[in-house]
Amino acid sequence: MVATSFAHWLPLWLPQLETLMKRILPFIIILAVLGVTLGSAWYLTRPIPSSSTAVGSQQPAPPASSSPTSGSRSSGAQAPTPQPVANRGVPGAEPAHVLGPATAPAHIEEFGDFECPPCGMFHPILEQMHKEFGDRLRITFREFPLVPTHKHALAAASAAEAAGMQGKFWEMHALLYEHQKEWKTQFDVRPIFEGYAQQIGIDVERFKRDRASDTVSQRIFLDGKRGHSLGVQGTPTVFLNGREVPFQSLMAAEQLRVLIQREIDSAAKQK
Amino acid sequence: MKRTWVYAAAALLALLGLADALYLTVEHVTGQSVQCTIIAGCSEVLSSSYAVVAGIPLAMIGAAAYFSVFSLALLAAFGYRIAGTLLTPLIIAMFLVSLWLIYLQAFVIGAFCQFCLFSAAITFCLLIAVLLAHRLHRSEKSV
Repeated sequence: MVATSFAHWLPLWLPQLETLMKRILPFIIILAVLGVTLGSAWYLTRPIPSSSTAVGSQQPAPPASSSPTSGSRSSGAQAPTPQPVANRGVPGAEPAHVLGPATAPAHIEEFGDFECPPCGMFHPILEQMHKEFGDRLRITFREFPLVPTHKHALAAASAAEAAGMQGKFWEMHALLYEHQKEWKTQFDVRPIFEGYAQQIGIDVERFKRDRASDTVSQRIFLDGKRGHSLGVQGTPTVFLNGREVPFQSLMAAEQLRVLIQREIDSAAKQK
Repeated sequence: MKRTWVYAAAALLALLGLADALYLTVEHVTGQSVQCTIIAGCSEVLSSSYAVVAGIPLAMIGAAAYFSVFSLALLAAFGYRIAGTLLTPLIIAMFLVSLWLIYLQAFVIGAFCQFCLFSAAITFCLLIAVLLAHRLHRSEKSV
Protein backbone atom coordinates (compact mmCIF):
# COMPACT_ATOMS: atom_id res chain seq x y z
CA MET A 1 0.00 0.00 0.00
CA VAL A 2 2.78 2.41 1.04
CA ALA A 3 4.91 1.35 -1.93
CA THR A 4 2.04 1.99 -4.32
CA SER A 5 1.39 5.49 -2.95
CA PHE A 6 5.12 6.35 -3.06
CA ALA A 7 5.34 5.21 -6.68
CA HIS A 8 2.30 7.33 -7.40
CA TRP A 9 3.73 10.51 -5.86
CA LEU A 10 7.36 10.12 -7.01
CA PRO A 11 6.94 11.44 -10.58
CA LEU A 12 5.33 14.57 -9.16
CA TRP A 13 8.19 15.12 -6.70
CA LEU A 14 11.04 14.43 -9.13
CA PRO A 15 11.24 17.85 -10.86
CA GLN A 16 11.14 19.64 -7.50
CA LEU A 17 13.75 17.26 -6.08
CA GLU A 18 15.98 17.87 -9.10
CA THR A 19 15.69 21.65 -8.73
CA LEU A 20 16.38 21.38 -5.01
CA MET A 21 19.44 19.19 -5.59
CA LYS A 22 20.72 21.60 -8.26
CA ARG A 23 20.43 24.45 -5.77
CA ILE A 24 22.02 22.57 -2.90
CA LEU A 25 24.73 20.69 -4.83
CA PRO A 26 27.24 23.62 -5.14
CA PHE A 27 27.02 24.24 -1.39
CA ILE A 28 27.64 20.54 -0.72
CA ILE A 29 30.72 20.65 -2.99
CA ILE A 30 31.96 23.87 -1.33
CA LEU A 31 31.57 22.33 2.13
CA ALA A 32 33.33 19.15 0.97
CA VAL A 33 36.27 21.16 -0.43
CA LEU A 34 36.42 23.22 2.77
CA GLY A 35 36.45 20.02 4.83
CA VAL A 36 39.21 18.45 2.73
CA THR A 37 41.27 21.68 2.86
CA LEU A 38 41.01 22.11 6.62
CA GLY A 39 41.54 18.38 7.19
CA SER A 40 44.68 18.35 5.05
CA ALA A 41 46.00 21.49 6.75
CA TRP A 42 45.43 19.97 10.18
CA TYR A 43 46.99 16.62 9.19
CA LEU A 44 50.09 18.18 7.63
CA THR A 45 50.74 20.68 10.43
CA ARG A 46 49.87 18.43 13.40
CA PRO A 47 52.59 18.31 16.03
CA ILE A 48 54.87 15.28 15.61
CA PRO A 49 55.94 13.56 18.83
CA SER A 50 59.53 14.49 19.64
CA SER A 51 60.68 10.84 19.58
CA SER A 52 59.94 10.57 15.86
CA THR A 53 62.13 13.57 15.07
CA ALA A 54 65.07 12.20 17.00
CA VAL A 55 68.32 12.13 15.12
CA GLY A 56 70.36 10.67 17.95
CA SER A 57 69.19 9.07 21.15
CA GLN A 58 69.01 11.04 24.36
CA GLN A 59 72.45 11.32 25.85
CA PRO A 60 73.51 12.19 29.36
CA ALA A 61 75.41 15.38 30.13
CA PRO A 62 79.14 15.10 29.52
CA PRO A 63 81.36 14.55 32.57
CA ALA A 64 82.03 17.49 34.85
CA SER A 65 85.78 17.05 34.63
CA SER A 66 85.96 18.66 31.20
CA SER A 67 83.92 21.70 32.20
CA PRO A 68 85.35 25.12 31.45
CA THR A 69 84.66 28.08 33.70
CA SER A 70 80.94 28.42 34.36
CA GLY A 71 79.17 30.60 31.82
CA SER A 72 82.40 31.40 30.07
CA ARG A 73 82.55 32.29 26.40
CA SER A 74 85.03 29.84 25.04
CA SER A 75 86.19 29.75 21.52
CA GLY A 76 88.21 27.55 19.22
CA ALA A 77 91.75 28.60 20.05
CA GLN A 78 91.21 28.97 23.81
CA ALA A 79 88.73 26.31 24.94
CA PRO A 80 89.87 22.97 26.26
CA THR A 81 88.75 20.08 24.06
CA PRO A 82 85.03 19.74 24.78
CA GLN A 83 83.00 16.55 24.62
CA PRO A 84 81.08 16.06 21.40
CA VAL A 85 77.52 17.32 21.88
CA ALA A 86 75.58 14.69 19.97
CA ASN A 87 76.46 11.05 20.18
CA ARG A 88 76.06 10.34 16.48
CA GLY A 89 77.83 11.52 13.39
CA VAL A 90 81.47 12.22 12.70
CA PRO A 91 83.24 14.78 14.92
CA GLY A 92 83.29 18.38 13.79
CA ALA A 93 86.11 20.91 14.17
CA GLU A 94 87.85 20.57 17.52
CA PRO A 95 87.90 22.42 19.79
CA ALA A 96 84.38 23.55 18.95
CA HIS A 97 82.98 27.00 19.66
CA VAL A 98 81.05 26.60 22.88
CA LEU A 99 79.20 28.73 25.42
CA GLY A 100 78.40 27.41 28.88
CA PRO A 101 79.88 24.61 30.95
CA ALA A 102 80.17 21.00 29.82
CA THR A 103 78.16 20.00 32.92
CA ALA A 104 75.08 21.83 31.61
CA PRO A 105 72.08 19.45 31.45
CA ALA A 106 70.88 20.96 28.17
CA HIS A 107 73.12 21.04 25.08
CA ILE A 108 72.28 22.94 21.92
CA GLU A 109 74.34 22.28 18.82
CA GLU A 110 73.50 24.71 16.04
CA PHE A 111 74.49 24.31 12.41
CA GLY A 112 74.32 27.82 11.04
CA ASP A 113 75.06 29.99 8.04
CA PHE A 114 75.78 33.67 8.72
CA GLU A 115 74.04 34.78 5.52
CA CYS A 116 70.86 32.74 6.10
CA PRO A 117 67.97 35.04 7.18
CA PRO A 118 66.27 32.51 9.51
CA CYS A 119 69.65 31.95 11.23
CA GLY A 120 69.75 35.71 11.77
CA MET A 121 66.25 35.54 13.25
CA PHE A 122 67.27 32.63 15.49
CA HIS A 123 70.36 34.44 16.79
CA PRO A 124 68.57 36.78 19.30
CA ILE A 125 66.36 33.88 20.46
CA LEU A 126 69.43 31.77 21.27
CA GLU A 127 71.09 34.76 22.96
CA GLN A 128 67.99 35.13 25.10
CA MET A 129 68.08 31.43 26.01
CA HIS A 130 71.75 31.77 26.93
CA LYS A 131 70.96 34.69 29.24
CA GLU A 132 67.93 32.97 30.81
CA PHE A 133 69.42 29.53 31.41
CA GLY A 134 73.03 30.54 32.10
CA ASP A 135 75.12 27.57 33.26
CA ARG A 136 72.28 25.11 32.68
CA LEU A 137 72.61 25.50 28.90
CA ARG A 138 75.61 24.73 26.71
CA ILE A 139 75.65 26.06 23.16
CA THR A 140 77.89 24.81 20.36
CA PHE A 141 78.04 26.54 16.99
CA ARG A 142 78.97 24.62 13.85
CA GLU A 143 79.71 26.20 10.49
CA PHE A 144 77.36 25.15 7.71
CA PRO A 145 77.76 27.76 4.94
CA LEU A 146 75.29 27.12 2.13
CA VAL A 147 77.50 27.55 -0.90
CA PRO A 148 76.71 28.61 -3.63
CA THR A 149 73.19 29.68 -2.54
CA HIS A 150 74.65 32.32 -0.25
CA LYS A 151 77.55 34.03 -2.02
CA HIS A 152 79.14 35.51 1.12
CA ALA A 153 78.42 32.62 3.51
CA LEU A 154 81.89 31.10 3.18
CA ALA A 155 83.62 34.47 3.63
CA ALA A 156 81.53 35.10 6.75
CA ALA A 157 82.27 31.64 8.17
CA SER A 158 85.99 32.22 7.49
CA ALA A 159 85.82 35.61 9.23
CA ALA A 160 84.19 34.07 12.31
CA GLU A 161 86.74 31.24 12.40
CA ALA A 162 89.64 33.68 11.94
CA ALA A 163 88.31 35.78 14.84
CA GLY A 164 88.02 32.53 16.82
CA MET A 165 91.75 31.96 16.32
CA GLN A 166 92.26 35.14 18.34
CA GLY A 167 89.67 34.08 20.92
CA LYS A 168 86.87 36.34 19.67
CA PHE A 169 84.62 33.92 17.78
CA TRP A 170 81.40 34.79 19.63
CA GLU A 171 82.00 38.53 19.29
CA MET A 172 82.40 38.18 15.51
CA HIS A 173 79.46 35.72 15.41
CA ALA A 174 77.23 38.34 17.05
CA LEU A 175 78.37 41.15 14.73
CA LEU A 176 77.87 39.03 11.61
CA TYR A 177 74.31 38.15 12.55
CA GLU A 178 73.37 41.59 13.86
CA HIS A 179 74.57 43.30 10.68
CA GLN A 180 73.58 40.51 8.27
CA LYS A 181 71.19 42.70 6.28
CA GLU A 182 73.88 45.32 5.77
CA TRP A 183 76.67 43.08 4.41
CA LYS A 184 74.75 40.38 2.56
CA THR A 185 73.81 42.75 -0.26
CA GLN A 186 77.35 44.10 -0.72
CA PHE A 187 79.62 43.05 -3.56
CA ASP A 188 82.83 42.83 -1.52
CA VAL A 189 82.37 41.94 2.13
CA ARG A 190 86.04 41.60 3.08
CA PRO A 191 86.57 45.26 4.11
CA ILE A 192 83.33 45.15 6.14
CA PHE A 193 84.54 42.07 8.03
CA GLU A 194 87.93 43.73 8.58
CA GLY A 195 86.01 46.62 10.13
CA TYR A 196 84.27 44.16 12.47
CA ALA A 197 87.67 42.65 13.37
CA GLN A 198 88.90 46.12 14.30
CA GLN A 199 85.71 46.75 16.27
CA ILE A 200 86.18 43.64 18.44
CA GLY A 201 89.80 44.54 19.03
CA ILE A 202 91.72 41.78 17.30
CA ASP A 203 94.87 42.01 15.18
CA VAL A 204 93.44 42.83 11.74
CA GLU A 205 96.55 41.80 9.81
CA ARG A 206 96.58 38.41 11.50
CA PHE A 207 92.81 38.15 10.93
CA LYS A 208 93.36 38.71 7.18
CA ARG A 209 96.03 35.98 7.07
CA ASP A 210 94.04 33.53 9.21
CA ARG A 211 90.80 33.74 7.23
CA ALA A 212 92.67 32.56 4.13
CA SER A 213 94.51 29.83 6.03
CA ASP A 214 94.14 26.07 5.68
CA THR A 215 93.30 25.81 9.38
CA VAL A 216 90.17 27.89 8.90
CA SER A 217 89.16 26.01 5.72
CA GLN A 218 89.70 22.70 7.49
CA ARG A 219 87.55 23.73 10.46
CA ILE A 220 84.68 24.77 8.17
CA PHE A 221 85.07 21.54 6.21
CA LEU A 222 84.99 19.40 9.37
CA ASP A 223 81.89 21.14 10.73
CA GLY A 224 80.17 20.69 7.37
CA LYS A 225 81.18 17.03 7.33
CA ARG A 226 79.69 16.55 10.78
CA GLY A 227 76.49 18.29 9.64
CA HIS A 228 76.19 16.00 6.63
CA SER A 229 76.77 12.94 8.79
CA LEU A 230 73.86 14.05 11.01
CA GLY A 231 71.60 14.59 8.01
CA VAL A 232 71.66 18.40 8.14
CA GLN A 233 70.17 19.78 4.93
CA GLY A 234 69.39 23.36 5.78
CA THR A 235 70.09 26.09 8.28
CA PRO A 236 69.50 26.68 11.06
CA THR A 237 69.43 23.04 12.15
CA VAL A 238 69.54 22.65 15.89
CA PHE A 239 70.06 19.58 18.04
CA LEU A 240 69.04 19.65 21.68
CA ASN A 241 70.81 16.89 23.60
CA GLY A 242 71.35 15.05 20.35
CA ARG A 243 67.78 15.33 19.08
CA GLU A 244 66.80 17.62 16.24
CA VAL A 245 64.52 20.47 17.29
CA PRO A 246 61.60 21.06 14.86
CA PHE A 247 62.17 24.30 12.97
CA GLN A 248 58.93 25.92 14.16
CA SER A 249 60.10 25.57 17.76
CA LEU A 250 63.26 27.51 16.95
CA MET A 251 61.47 30.63 15.81
CA ALA A 252 59.42 30.95 18.99
CA ALA A 253 61.38 31.62 22.18
CA GLU A 254 58.56 30.30 24.35
CA GLN A 255 58.58 26.91 22.59
CA LEU A 256 62.35 26.56 22.72
CA ARG A 257 62.31 27.57 26.39
CA VAL A 258 59.85 24.74 27.16
CA LEU A 259 62.04 22.20 25.33
CA ILE A 260 65.20 23.30 27.14
CA GLN A 261 63.43 23.32 30.51
CA ARG A 262 62.13 19.81 29.83
CA GLU A 263 65.70 18.58 29.28
CA ILE A 264 66.87 20.28 32.47
CA ASP A 265 63.97 18.79 34.46
CA SER A 266 64.58 15.35 33.04
CA ALA A 267 68.29 15.54 33.95
CA ALA A 268 67.36 16.66 37.50
CA LYS A 269 65.02 13.67 37.88
CA GLN A 270 67.73 11.26 36.79
CA LYS A 271 70.10 12.51 39.50
CA MET B 1 25.73 27.45 -21.41
CA LYS B 2 29.25 28.40 -22.53
CA ARG B 3 29.59 30.78 -19.61
CA THR B 4 28.77 27.93 -17.25
CA TRP B 5 31.77 26.00 -18.58
CA VAL B 6 34.03 29.03 -18.23
CA TYR B 7 33.02 29.35 -14.57
CA ALA B 8 33.49 25.60 -14.07
CA ALA B 9 37.02 25.89 -15.54
CA ALA B 10 37.67 28.86 -13.22
CA ALA B 11 36.57 26.74 -10.25
CA LEU B 12 39.00 23.98 -11.26
CA LEU B 13 41.82 26.52 -11.68
CA ALA B 14 41.01 27.93 -8.25
CA LEU B 15 41.31 24.41 -6.82
CA LEU B 16 44.85 24.19 -8.25
CA GLY B 17 45.66 27.59 -6.74
CA LEU B 18 44.17 26.45 -3.42
CA ALA B 19 46.37 23.32 -3.41
CA ASP B 20 49.46 25.45 -4.17
CA ALA B 21 48.64 28.03 -1.48
CA LEU B 22 47.82 25.25 1.01
CA TYR B 23 51.20 23.62 0.35
CA LEU B 24 52.99 26.94 0.88
CA THR B 25 51.00 27.57 4.07
CA VAL B 26 51.95 24.16 5.46
CA GLU B 27 55.59 24.73 4.49
CA HIS B 28 55.51 28.13 6.17
CA VAL B 29 53.84 26.92 9.35
CA THR B 30 56.10 23.89 9.73
CA GLY B 31 59.14 25.91 8.69
CA GLN B 32 60.23 23.60 5.89
CA SER B 33 60.53 26.28 3.22
CA VAL B 34 61.59 29.02 5.57
CA GLN B 35 64.74 27.13 6.48
CA CYS B 36 67.66 27.97 4.19
CA THR B 37 68.69 25.09 1.96
CA ILE B 38 71.12 24.59 -0.87
CA ILE B 39 68.26 25.19 -3.33
CA ALA B 40 67.81 28.93 -3.54
CA GLY B 41 64.51 30.71 -4.10
CA CYS B 42 61.65 29.60 -1.88
CA SER B 43 63.62 29.89 1.34
CA GLU B 44 64.70 33.43 0.44
CA VAL B 45 61.18 34.50 -0.54
CA LEU B 46 59.30 32.76 2.27
CA SER B 47 61.69 33.92 4.96
CA SER B 48 61.43 37.55 3.82
CA SER B 49 59.37 40.06 5.76
CA TYR B 50 56.90 40.19 2.85
CA ALA B 51 55.81 36.57 3.48
CA VAL B 52 53.80 37.63 6.52
CA VAL B 53 51.06 40.27 6.70
CA ALA B 54 49.95 41.34 10.19
CA GLY B 55 51.25 38.09 11.64
CA ILE B 56 49.37 35.95 9.10
CA PRO B 57 51.36 34.01 6.47
CA LEU B 58 50.63 35.47 3.02
CA ALA B 59 50.15 31.92 1.70
CA MET B 60 47.26 31.45 4.15
CA ILE B 61 45.61 34.64 2.87
CA GLY B 62 46.15 33.29 -0.66
CA ALA B 63 44.50 29.98 0.28
CA ALA B 64 41.47 31.86 1.65
CA ALA B 65 41.31 33.94 -1.57
CA TYR B 66 41.48 30.84 -3.78
CA PHE B 67 38.79 29.14 -1.71
CA SER B 68 36.56 32.21 -2.15
CA VAL B 69 37.19 32.19 -5.90
CA PHE B 70 36.39 28.46 -6.05
CA SER B 71 33.13 28.93 -4.14
CA LEU B 72 32.00 31.94 -6.20
CA ALA B 73 32.97 30.34 -9.53
CA LEU B 74 31.10 27.15 -8.63
CA LEU B 75 28.01 29.09 -7.57
CA ALA B 76 28.23 31.15 -10.79
CA ALA B 77 28.45 27.91 -12.79
CA PHE B 78 25.25 26.76 -11.08
CA GLY B 79 23.49 29.96 -12.11
CA TYR B 80 23.91 32.21 -9.07
CA ARG B 81 24.31 35.60 -10.76
CA ILE B 82 25.53 37.51 -7.73
CA ALA B 83 28.45 35.09 -7.43
CA GLY B 84 29.64 35.98 -10.94
CA THR B 85 29.41 39.68 -10.09
CA LEU B 86 31.48 39.28 -6.90
CA LEU B 87 34.05 37.08 -8.63
CA THR B 88 35.35 39.79 -10.98
CA PRO B 89 36.64 42.34 -8.42
CA LEU B 90 38.11 39.55 -6.29
CA ILE B 91 40.14 38.12 -9.20
CA ILE B 92 41.25 41.60 -10.31
CA ALA B 93 42.48 42.29 -6.75
CA MET B 94 44.31 38.95 -6.66
CA PHE B 95 45.91 39.68 -10.02
CA LEU B 96 47.17 43.08 -8.83
CA VAL B 97 48.58 41.52 -5.64
CA SER B 98 50.30 38.85 -7.80
CA LEU B 99 51.91 41.59 -9.92
CA TRP B 100 53.15 43.30 -6.76
CA LEU B 101 54.57 40.01 -5.45
CA ILE B 102 56.39 39.34 -8.73
CA TYR B 103 57.87 42.84 -8.51
CA LEU B 104 59.05 42.13 -4.94
CA GLN B 105 60.63 38.82 -5.95
CA ALA B 106 62.37 40.33 -8.97
CA PHE B 107 63.57 43.68 -7.62
CA VAL B 108 63.47 43.65 -3.83
CA ILE B 109 64.17 40.09 -2.63
CA GLY B 110 66.17 39.10 -5.71
CA ALA B 111 64.95 35.49 -5.71
CA PHE B 112 62.02 33.64 -7.24
CA CYS B 113 59.88 30.98 -5.61
CA GLN B 114 58.42 28.59 -8.20
CA PHE B 115 55.27 27.97 -6.14
CA CYS B 116 54.64 31.72 -5.94
CA LEU B 117 55.12 32.02 -9.70
CA PHE B 118 52.71 29.11 -10.25
CA SER B 119 50.15 30.93 -8.12
CA ALA B 120 50.65 34.10 -10.19
CA ALA B 121 50.12 32.07 -13.39
CA ILE B 122 46.87 30.62 -11.99
CA THR B 123 45.65 34.12 -11.09
CA PHE B 124 46.46 35.30 -14.62
CA CYS B 125 44.43 32.38 -16.08
CA LEU B 126 41.57 33.22 -13.71
CA LEU B 127 41.61 36.81 -14.96
CA ILE B 128 41.39 35.57 -18.56
CA ALA B 129 38.49 33.28 -17.57
CA VAL B 130 36.53 36.03 -15.86
CA LEU B 131 37.07 38.43 -18.79
CA LEU B 132 35.90 35.70 -21.18
CA ALA B 133 32.81 35.13 -19.04
CA HIS B 134 32.03 38.86 -19.23
CA ARG B 135 32.42 38.87 -22.98
CA LEU B 136 30.11 35.87 -23.34
CA HIS B 137 27.60 37.57 -21.06
CA ARG B 138 27.62 40.67 -23.30
CA SER B 139 27.24 38.66 -26.49
CA GLU B 140 24.36 36.69 -24.91
CA LYS B 141 22.68 40.00 -24.03
CA SER B 142 23.11 41.46 -27.51
CA VAL B 143 21.55 38.31 -29.05
